[in-house]
Amino acid sequence: MPADYDKGAYPEPPRQTPVVDKQTALPNPALILSKLFYYSVDLPVTTFRDAVDSIRAKNKIVYYHQKFRRVPDLTECKEGDYPCYYEAEMQWRRDYKVDQEIVKVIQERLRACQQREGHSYQQNCAKEIQQFNEVTKNFQSRYGDLGAYASARKCLMKQKERMMAAQAQNA
Amino acid sequence: MAGMSVLRSVAAFAARLSPLKSGNNAANLLTRAIPRTDKVSVRWGHGKRLFVIKPSDYYDRRFLRLLQFYILLTGVPVAIIVTGVNIFIGEAELAEIPEGYEPEHWEYYKHPITRWITRNIYDSPVKDYEKMMAAVQIEKEKADMRLTQLEVRRQMRQQGDGPWFQVPTLNKELIDNSPKSSPDH
Repeated sequence: MPADYDKGAYPEPPRQTPVVDKQTALPNPALILSKLFYYSVDLPVTTFRDAVDSIRAKNKIVYYHQKFRRVPDLTECKEGDYPCYYEAEMQWRRDYKVDQEIVKVIQERLRACQQREGHSYQQNCAKEIQQFNEVTKNFQSRYGDLGAYASARKCLMKQKERMMAAQAQNA
Repeated sequence: MAGMSVLRSVAAFAARLSPLKSGNNAANLLTRAIPRTDKVSVRWGHGKRLFVIKPSDYYDRRFLRLLQFYILLTGVPVAIIVTGVNIFIGEAELAEIPEGYEPEHWEYYKHPITRWITRNIYDSPVKDYEKMMAAVQIEKEKADMRLTQLEVRRQMRQQGDGPWFQVPTLNKELIDNSPKSSPDH
């Protein structure tokens, strides 16, 4: 079976199953339905999965997560050194993808927290909300409004504008 | 009636002589009841039998039949191959890169068919990267050469001492100065 998700980031809510206190002689329809579901759906699916897994166990293959070396940035390239520009551009694109995935993970955590807590999410998920706001604000200030043809140069120019605005504000 | 029984016995004798001829089997000769062809019971179920006049749907059905055939011609083998790969080989599992081991470029993908494609058909991403960098370098050198050529042209035209703007003329030694040396010849 595939590995379970991170239980620290997505904690399970405390179980609220009540103690069974049967006072009637009538059968419990919920129990009947759950047994019906188990025998008609759960058991066949599990046996099929186990059968396929036992066939697959003979030809197990693995895949790895690629680690890229860090190369000089766009600011560290000499002017006119186009291969250096290309490598910096590719590295910036990889970093952009990584940052998009980070934002998606934070969004997913906030969504899960809201689903767990129900109506009291604003109070119980304060940490996730604060994290989400911070991450999205930073992402927007760095990569926002660059458009579909975003490049490392445009991002650098945006950073320059940000620094100039900060300096003008301080002065 | 008697004649009919004689004929029947004669027909039976003829049937015994040549049993394979059609019409000579036992069912045709032994029936006492004579089949009446003017009154037959026709059963059309419930409802009135209608002769529906509609335009030919032969071409439509032929198109759909051919469409089905040509789609399934490659669709069924592809479906069998993909199902077989998913059941017998299955997707890869994520693992940590072992120490000192450099994975091949196809070992970074999950599905076995993607791995096969990147292994046998595509170039590795490293090779693509290097190809792109080589193209960028060549274009850079071309652009630099063009700029220097323009600069050299400008300088030579300005200074006038470069070989590009020199027009070849006749040799001064070849001029015959003898008619010019004595005036009023």
